[in-house]
Amino acid sequence: MGWAWGHATDPDDQLDIDATRRVLGRTARMLLPYRRGALGAVGLIVLWTAMLLAGPLLVRRGIDEGIAKGDSGQLNVSIGLYVVVAIVSYLCFRNAIVLLARVGEGFLRDMRTRVFDSLLRQSMAFYDREKAGVLVSRMTSDVDSLQELVQFGLIMFTSAALLLIGSFVILMVLSWQLMLLCAVAVPFVALASVKFQRDSNKAYLAVREEIGDTLSTLQEGISGVRVVQAFAREEVEARRFSDANFSLYRTHMASVRIQCWYLPIVEFAGAATTALALGVGGWMVREGRLSLGTVVAFILLLSTLFEPVQQLSQLFNMVQSATASLHKLYGLIDEPLEIADPVDGVDMPTGEPIVLDSVSFGYAGGDPVLRDVDLEIAPGERVAFVGPTGAGKSTMAKLIARFYDPTVGSVRVGDVDLRDIGLRSLRDHVVVVPQEGYLFSGTIADNIRVARPEASDAEVRDAIDRIGVLDRFEQLPEGLATEVRERGSRLSAGEKQLVSLARAALADPSVLILDEATSSVDPGTEAAVETAMETLMRDRTVIAIAHRLSTSERCDRVAVVSDGRLVELGSHDELVAAGGHYFALYDAWVVGLGHDS
Amino acid sequence: MLLGMLASVMWTAGRVTVPLMVQLGLDRGVREDGPLLGWVLLILGAGFVSAVFLGVRRYLAFRNARIIEAKLRDRIFAHVQRLHFSFHDANATGELMSRGNTDLQHFQNVVVLVPLTFGNFLIVCAVTLIMVIIQPMLALLALVSLPFVNVLGRRFAQRLHPAVLAVQQEAAQLAAVVEETVSGVRVVKGFGSEPVQAAKLEVEADDVFDESMRASVIRARYMPAIEVLPNIGLITVLGYGGHLVLNGDMTVGELVSFNIYVLMLVQPLRMLGMIVANAQRAASAGERISEVLETAPRIVDPERPVPLPATGALGRVEFRNVSFDYRPDTDAGVLNGLDLTIEPGESVALVGATGSGKSTVARLLPRFYDVDRGDVRLDGVDVRTVRRQELRRAVGIVFEETFLFSSSIRDNIAFADPEATQDVVERAARLAGADEFIAEMPEGYDTVIGERGFSLSGGQRQRLAIARAILADPRVLILDDATSAVDPTKEHEIRDALGEVMARRTTIVIAHRPATIALADRVVLLDNGRVAAEGTHAELLAGNERYREVLAVDRAAPGAGA
Ligand SMILES: Nc1ncnc2c1ncn2[C@@H]1O[C@H](COP(=O)(O)OP(=O)(O)OP(=O)(O)O)[C@@H](O)[C@H]1O
Ligand SMILES: Nc1ncnc2c1ncn2[C@@H]1O[C@H](COP(=O)(O)OP(=O)(O)OP(=O)(O)O)[C@@H](O)[C@H]1O
Ligand SMILES: [Mg+2]
Ligand SMILES: [Mg+2]
Repeated sequence: MGWAWGHATDPDDQLDIDATRRVLGRTARMLLPYRRGALGAVGLIVLWTAMLLAGPLLVRRGIDEGIAKGDSGQLNVSIGLYVVVAIVSYLCFRNAIVLLARVGEGFLRDMRTRVFDSLLRQSMAFYDREKAGVLVSRMTSDVDSLQELVQFGLIMFTSAALLLIGSFVILMVLSWQLMLLCAVAVPFVALASVKFQRDSNKAYLAVREEIGDTLSTLQEGISGVRVVQAFAREEVEARRFSDANFSLYRTHMASVRIQCWYLPIVEFAGAATTALALGVGGWMVREGRLSLGTVVAFILLLSTLFEPVQQLSQLFNMVQSATASLHKLYGLIDEPLEIADPVDGVDMPTGEPIVLDSVSFGYAGGDPVLRDVDLEIAPGERVAFVGPTGAGKSTMAKLIARFYDPTVGSVRVGDVDLRDIGLRSLRDHVVVVPQEGYLFSGTIADNIRVARPEASDAEVRDAIDRIGVLDRFEQLPEGLATEVRERGSRLSAGEKQLVSLARAALADPSVLILDEATSSVDPGTEAAVETAMETLMRDRTVIAIAHRLSTSERCDRVAVVSDGRLVELGSHDELVAAGGHYFALYDAWVVGLGHDS
Repeated sequence: MLLGMLASVMWTAGRVTVPLMVQLGLDRGVREDGPLLGWVLLILGAGFVSAVFLGVRRYLAFRNARIIEAKLRDRIFAHVQRLHFSFHDANATGELMSRGNTDLQHFQNVVVLVPLTFGNFLIVCAVTLIMVIIQPMLALLALVSLPFVNVLGRRFAQRLHPAVLAVQQEAAQLAAVVEETVSGVRVVKGFGSEPVQAAKLEVEADDVFDESMRASVIRARYMPAIEVLPNIGLITVLGYGGHLVLNGDMTVGELVSFNIYVLMLVQPLRMLGMIVANAQRAASAGERISEVLETAPRIVDPERPVPLPATGALGRVEFRNVSFDYRPDTDAGVLNGLDLTIEPGESVALVGATGSGKSTVARLLPRFYDVDRGDVRLDGVDVRTVRRQELRRAVGIVFEETFLFSSSIRDNIAFADPEATQDVVERAARLAGADEFIAEMPEGYDTVIGERGFSLSGGQRQRLAIARAILADPRVLILDDATSAVDPTKEHEIRDALGEVMARRTTIVIAHRPATIALADRVVLLDNGRVAAEGTHAELLAGNERYREVLAVDRAAPGAGA
C-alpha cells in the first residue's frame, strides 16, 4: 500500500487543474539541469513498453506465418525476433531505472536543501504560526511520498499508461471491428474507474487526516508522558488514543472496501472481454474474416490490457499525493519572507547606540504588545529590562535581534535601520540566549559548539571556564562528553541554563541579550557566574532580562516595562530613590533578603 | 482465517479455469467448428467467480491486518504511558514514535501478505499441474526458467533490504536535523547558526542521495532480470510448442493457454520471493516492538496495596535515610541518606545549589523513581505500598519545565479532572494568578495554545501549570521552581492567593528567590545529597554560612543599603 505516513492534511491536498499545472511547470523548471537524463529515461521507457507490446505480435506472427502455413522457417524467424525483443527490453529497463533514479534522487536532493534553506530564512512569526510537527513532516513524509514515486512509481505509471495506449492502438490495427465489439466493456470500466478515483481520493484524504491525528496524539502522549503520569491520567489518555486509533482503523477499512468493489469489476471485465474476443473472433475466423493468429494475439493483448488499468488506478493515488506534496513544498519554498535579508544589506555599524524609536508591536497583527517605546542604549552599556510577566520584555529583546519587525516605528543602530542591515552581519553581532532554552541531543560540548561550530575543544572548555562553571561539568563521569539526552533531560534545570549560557561565552557578539538566562540557577551560582562574566561582558552591549533584581543592580541602567510601555528608565540608584514601580519591585525583593527589617 | 482460505481457493479455481476454457474454445469451437457459445459462457462464469473472490479475499486480508495493527498500536501507547520515568529518560520520543509508526507498518505489510501468499501458492500449484497434464515436456521447458523468478525475487529482496534500511537510516538522520532545527529555532536564530544547520542538512541530503542510488542500482540489477525471465518461458512455448503444433502433437489452443498460464505465474512467483525478505524486515520490526512491550514497568502497583489514611491530619511526608542515584553504577549518589519530615499542613522550602538534588527529592515522593535505600512515606505509608493512581492523586507537582498540551486553556487546567465545571476551572486559574491574562485572550478559556504553549510568555505558561496542579486538589503540593519566570510583585499575589490553597495542605516549594522562600514555615537546605540545615529563613540567614552563599545574600546586601 502506498499510504504515506505522518502527513498533515490541509485544503491544499485537493488540487485543482490550475494548481496542478503550476506544479508541473515548476517541476519541469527544476528538472532543467537534469534534462538529458530525464529525456533519456523517457526514451528508454517508451522503447521498453514497445518491446512489451511486441511479444504478443510475435506470437501472432509465429502462428499465422509459421504454424498456420506449416512453415517452420518463419516460426524460427519469429522466435529469433522474440529473443532480440527480450534482450532489448532487459537493457532498456535496466538503464531506465538507473537514469531515472539519478534524475529523481537528484531532484529530491535539490528539493530538500531548497526547502530547508527556505525554512531557515523564515521569521519567528512564521514559526509561531506553524506547528513544528507539520514543518518536519514537509521534509519527511512529503518528500518520502515523492521518493516512492521516483523509485518505482514513475516507471510503472508511465509504462502502464503507454502499455494501455499501445495495446489499444495495436488492437485497433489488428481488427478494428473486433476491437470495437470488445470495447463494450470499456464504458463500464471507465465509469467504475471514475467513481473509484473520486471515492478513493476522498478515502485517501480521510486516511491521511486520521493518520495525522493519530500520530500527533501519539507524539503528544509520549512527549507529555511525565505530566500524564503525574496526574495519574494514563488510562484516560490511553482511551482517548484508542478512540483516535480505531477511527483510523475504520477509515482504513472504508478505503479498503472501495478497492474491494473496484478490483473485481476490472477483473471481471478482463474475463468478459476475453470471452467476447473468443466468441466473436472465433466466429470471424470461421467466416474467414480474421486469421487465427490475430485472435490469439487479441486474447493475449487483452489479458495485458486490463492489468495496466488496475495498476494505473493504484498508482494514481501515489501520483496524486506526490502532486499535493509538491504543491506544499513549492508553497514553502515560495513562502514570502516577513524578515527579508535586504538587497545590498550594509554591515552592522559598530560603536553606535541601539535606538528604539517610537516602537509599537503586536504579534501576528493582534493587539499591540508594545506601545510607543523609545529607548537608546549606548554601545558598551549594560541595561536591564524588568517588569511584570507578559509585560513585553522578551518581545523588546526579540525586536532588537530582529526576530520580528516593529509594526510602527523603527529599531536602529546609529542611523541605520535594522531592516537595512544584512542578516548575516546582524546575527554575527547580536546574540540572544532565549528564554525558551533548547538543548540539542548530543554531548554538552556539542551543545555549546552551536554558537561556533569550528571551535576547538580547548575553546569550548575555555567558554565554560569564562562563566565559571568548568569544575561542575568536568566532575560528571563523562565530563563535557556527557550526552545530555532529549532536550537535556540528563541535566538539572539550572545545569541546562548554564550550558545555554556557555554558548554565549563561545560566541563573540558585540550585543548580547540574556533573556532570563539564569532564572533556574541558584543565586549563589548566579552571582559567581555574573562575576566570572564581567570580563566577558566588557566592551559589549548587554541587555539582561531578569526577575531577580541582583542582576539589575549590576547594570548601568534599568528599563522598567509594564503593560507594553517603558515606564521608568534610569540607574538602579536613581530609580530606587524615585520611589516608583522599580522601588516597589526592589522593596519586595529586599524584604526577602531580610535586610531592611 | 478459514474464510480467507476458502476465498483464496475459489479465486484460484476461477482464475485457472479461464485459460482452459480459452484453449477449449479455440480448439473445439473455432478450429473444429463446434459450438462456441458454451465456452464463451463458461469463461464468463469462471471470470465472475474469480472476480468476486478476488474482492472477498482482499477484504478479509486487509481487515485482518488492519485490526492487528490497530490493536498493537493501542497496546504500545497504553504500555508506553505506564513505563517508568527512567525508561523515558533513556528513550527519545522519536524512537518510541517509530515503534508505533514505521515499525508497525512493516509488520502490517507482512500480515496482509500472508493470506494473499496462500492464494498465490495455490495458483502456482494448480497452474503447474494443469500444464503438466496438457503437455508434460512443454510444461517442463516452459517452467524451467520460472523458479528463477522466485530465486531472483528472494535474492533481490535480501539485497535490497539492507540498502533500503540504509536509506531509511540516512533519512532519519536528516529528519533529526530538521526536527531539532525547527524545535530549537529560537536558539538557532539567537546564535545565527543557520549556515551551520544548512551545512549539516546538506551532508545528510548527500548521504540520502548516495544510499538511494545504491538501492537503485540493486533494483536495476534485479528487476529487469525478473521481468525478462518469463519471456524465456514464452519463447520456449512458441519455439518448442510451435514445432509440436506443426508436427500435429499439440493444438493451437493449448499453445495459447500455455502462454496465458506462463504469464499467470509471474506475479505470484515474484510475490512469493518478496514475502521472504519482507518477513525478515517485519521480524526485526516486530522484535523492536516487543522489546518495548516486554519492558516491564519498574514502578508497579503493589500486590496488596495499602490505602492512604483518609481522616485525621493529612499530608505528612517523611524521607527516611533515602539514597538515590539515576545511574546505579556510580558511587557518589545524588541523594545520600536524606532524612526529612514535613508535618501535615506545613509549608517547606527546599533550597540548594543547582544540581543539589532538589528536583530529585520532588520526584521521589510521587514515586516517579524508586529510592535505592531508605524509604519515602506519605501519611505513614511507604509510597511503594500505595496504588500509583491513589498516590499521584494525593501528590500534585508543578514541574520546573512547563509542559502544556496543544489544546484549549480550559483543557489544560482541567487536565486532572476533565469534567470539572467552569467555576472550578476559574477558581484554579484565579488562585494561580492566571485569570487576568486568560480574560484578555481572544477566546478566553477556549483559546487553543500552540505547541508547548510557546505563544504565551514564560510566566504565563508557569501560571497555567500551577492552576493545573491546584485543580487536582492534592494533599501535598510540590512547586518545583514554578515561579522562576513570574515577577516578584506578581509572585506575591500568587503567594497570597496560594495561601488559601496552602492552608489546607502540605506544600513543598523549591525556589531560589528569597521572597518566595521567606513565605514558607520552614526552610530546608540541601547539600551533598542530604539535609545540611533546617530552620526559618531568618534563622538560616543569620546562622548558616552555606545558606548565605547559596542565596548570595552577602553580595546583595550592599545594594540594599543604598
Ligand atoms: N509568539 C507569540 N505570539 C503571540 N503572542 C505572544 C507571543 N509571545 C508573547 N506573546 C504575548 O505577548 C505579551 C508579552 O510577552 P513577552 O514574552 O514579551 O512577556 P515578558 O515580559 O517577557 O514576560 P515573562 O517575564 O513572563 O517572560 C504576552 O501577553 C504574551 O502572551
Ligand atoms: N534524568 C536524569 N538522569 C541522570 N541524571 C540526572 C537526571 N536528572 C538530574 N540528574 C542529575 O542529578 C543531579 C541532581 O539534579 P536535580 O535536578 O535534582 O537538581 P536540582 O537541585 O533540582 O537543580 P536545579 O536547581 O538546577 O533544578 C544533577 O547533577 C543532575 O545532573
Ligand atoms: Mg519573557
Ligand atoms: Mg531542579
